Amino acid sequence: MNERNQLMDEKTLRAIIEEVLNEVSAGSAPSKAPMGINGRSGSTPAAGSRTLTVTEVGEAKPGTDPREILIALSPAFGTTMFQTITGIPLADVVREITAGIEEEGLRYRFIRLYRTADVGFIAHEAAKLSGSGIGIGIQSRGTTVIHQKDLPPLSNLELFSQAPLIDLPTFRAIGKNAAKYAKNESPTPVPVKNDQMARPKYQAIAALLHIKETQLLDPRKKTQELRVEVR
Amino acid sequence: MGLIAGVDIGNATTEVALAETTSGASSSSSSSFLPSSYPSSPSSAPSLREPAFLASAIVPTTGIKGTPQNLQGVVHSLTDALTKAGRRLADVELIRINEAAPVIGDVAMETITETVITDSTMIGHNPATPGGLGIGVGVTVALDDLARISAGTDTIVVADRSHDFDAIAEAINTAVARGVPVTGVILQRDDGVLVANRLTRPLPIVDEVASIDKVPLGMPAAIEVAEAGRIIETLSNPFGIATLFDLSPDDTKMVVPLARSLVGNRSAVVIKTPQGDVAERRIPAGTLTFIGPVKSATVDVEAGAEAIMAAAASVAEVLEVKGEAGTNAGGMLEKVRVVMANLTDRAPSDISVTDLLAVDTLVPQRVIGAMAGEFSLEGAVGIAAMVKADRLQMERLAHDMAAELGVPVEVGGVEADMAVRGALTTPGSSQPIAILDMGAGSTDASVLRDGVTRSIHLAGAGTMVTLLIESELGLDDTELAENIKRYPLAKVETPFNIRHEDGSVEFFDAPLPPHVFARVVVLAPDGMIPVPIAQPLEVIRQVRIRAKERVFVTNAIRALRAVSPTNNVRDIDFVVLVGGSALDFEIPQLVTSALADFRVVAGRANIRGSEGPRNAVATGLVLSSGGR
Repeated sequence: MNERNQLMDEKTLRAIIEEVLNEVSAGSAPSKAPMGINGRSGSTPAAGSRTLTVTEVGEAKPGTDPREILIALSPAFGTTMFQTITGIPLADVVREITAGIEEEGLRYRFIRLYRTADVGFIAHEAAKLSGSGIGIGIQSRGTTVIHQKDLPPLSNLELFSQAPLIDLPTFRAIGKNAAKYAKNESPTPVPVKNDQMARPKYQAIAALLHIKETQLLDPRKKTQELRVEVR
Repeated sequence: MGLIAGVDIGNATTEVALAETTSGASSSSSSSFLPSSYPSSPSSAPSLREPAFLASAIVPTTGIKGTPQNLQGVVHSLTDALTKAGRRLADVELIRINEAAPVIGDVAMETITETVITDSTMIGHNPATPGGLGIGVGVTVALDDLARISAGTDTIVVADRSHDFDAIAEAINTAVARGVPVTGVILQRDDGVLVANRLTRPLPIVDEVASIDKVPLGMPAAIEVAEAGRIIETLSNPFGIATLFDLSPDDTKMVVPLARSLVGNRSAVVIKTPQGDVAERRIPAGTLTFIGPVKSATVDVEAGAEAIMAAAASVAEVLEVKGEAGTNAGGMLEKVRVVMANLTDRAPSDISVTDLLAVDTLVPQRVIGAMAGEFSLEGAVGIAAMVKADRLQMERLAHDMAAELGVPVEVGGVEADMAVRGALTTPGSSQPIAILDMGAGSTDASVLRDGVTRSIHLAGAGTMVTLLIESELGLDDTELAENIKRYPLAKVETPFNIRHEDGSVEFFDAPLPPHVFARVVVLAPDGMIPVPIAQPLEVIRQVRIRAKERVFVTNAIRALRAVSPTNNVRDIDFVVLVGGSALDFEIPQLVTSALADFRVVAGRANIRGSEGPRNAVATGLVLSSGGR
């Protein structure tokens, strides 16, 4: 761990830790202040021009429409976190994934899980509730999985495990491919970028961001249907 | 008591038949071999001289057939057979190897047509998801200039990737509200449906136009998008284009190639420019000259496979094939010659190409001058050439083997003769018999009639089929093409079931691996292999079957005609199929049903009643020992 930590900017790390500690000590009410990974805090919710509004509208129900892709968000997505690990606004992430689905002529629906922050299980839950049997699970830091309802939870159709390497065109392609699977087409898997340095460079931040997700977990709270707006 | 090993070194596999000679039957002492009574039916008691077969083995050939590199494969195969029989190498008294008649020189593909678009006249690609529906005619205008267009001018908007779909839709809606009749949209990004969904009025939209900067602005253009599952009808019709652009009869003639190249598309754009044209050009590929004993014939490669094969047939027996110097055809044959010369330590000029199979095929090629990276299916000729191997070469290999193994090695008879001998061990077969040996590199036929064999070796077999599949499907992966050739296809419909290519469904208890989900797969024995191409299963299947037909059915008829006493396939009664390609799951059926048209009974061999179509030559080599 020491070796890996050396690769991180010590100041950045310190800033993040302080921020997390502040939030933890601030109590259970999730702070609306977004966390910038570069140590910035208290900036406007989305770095870009678009804003993401997520509203819970009740318990999530299984879908029957074979044209729908279900997108499941992690607990902090759009509540305490508003950008990915590399600072891509989550509003833009949602916009690109849904654009990819729409371009293929399909529909989408959003849910949020409180039981787990594990992206594989989030995606699998989405797939099980999805009318098409295809779901996308996404964590606030950007890690994404395309899942199918009949596959074992730890399996998946496509996994994008290195959040720092996922850019907006990749999110578009993820939405597109999920829609193609739902249409029973045979999409070429989205090319997964790989960078050995991403792990040591971002591992500590990723761990902290995951803590932010897990703080919001509530094993008794049912999966919620969401209304997601990007303006 | 000694063992005889018949070793058949083929282009793809090395096969061994191991047999024990009965008492006193030494391979060198006998000369009283009776071909006409041989072999007796398997059920009868073995005669004194009949060797008792102990084991067979098959391994991949190492190196190119007829070269010293084969030795490794031979040793491997021999060891395999000896282990199965529980014997040692010291027990082997004699090894007989085949006189490897044909060595595949090369298979090559020559593209002979190309489509050239000049002056950016059309975009004929098939984006998976165009937007909107219908036909629009107008003048091309960049999105940034849309605000300056006066009301009432029919406009086709051209938007590059710097524009977001929301911005594009907004700009168009604004222009439409202002009274500019926007009739269609050309997009660089894959945003067709997104833009269409945000427009106040539906418009036809063609997206994914990669080189959108080449689209000429200020030119009249027409855009057409058909419903899902339909194809465009107006822009693929010359009179349709004439109607839209108000063309004269002379101009209408000019747009025929353009219209033709748009047939089958779901969306298209045609732009009217003064010099614009779409042309299909034939690429000069050089000539081939077939030299026979009495006459020779020259043919242009670009004339296609039919003309090439007609020229080959016109010279009766081909002694040599020469390609025009300085052309692709010449280059390919020269390459075969040089490779063979290197292998055999001879001068390239001493190597003669003795057969050639040409097959017409269609190869996806990038269209020159296209704006959306379009591919068009271009005509091509696939060529398999064959070079006669040198007996001296096999003698040398035999010598090397004898030195390495410490066992006498002799070169047996001609491969085809050996194959007939082996094929006759098939239960139910009798003389006169014809065999068709379908291997990887060559298709051989021989007829045994009254103890006399007549045989021929022809270029083109399994390897050629692989080449055709690879190029027609645009795969860059020979191994995948090989797998598509060998095994049936299926579509994975859910993680728990697949639909086979015949339409039947198979269910599984455990979910299939996710990497095959929703894909067309090859059902290889050790698991499903996904085929990473967009074509539907039915297309891949057709390509596979057609490739097999064009190589094996063509060659079967060609070969049987050559060995038939009357040069007519009908005068052969029974044909036994042997060789590696006879193991294929559909090639024997394709050949059998094609030969049924000639009233010829054909079927797969069952060598020694146990080996199937394999091991014919190796078995023949053992049986013929002492017979020469």
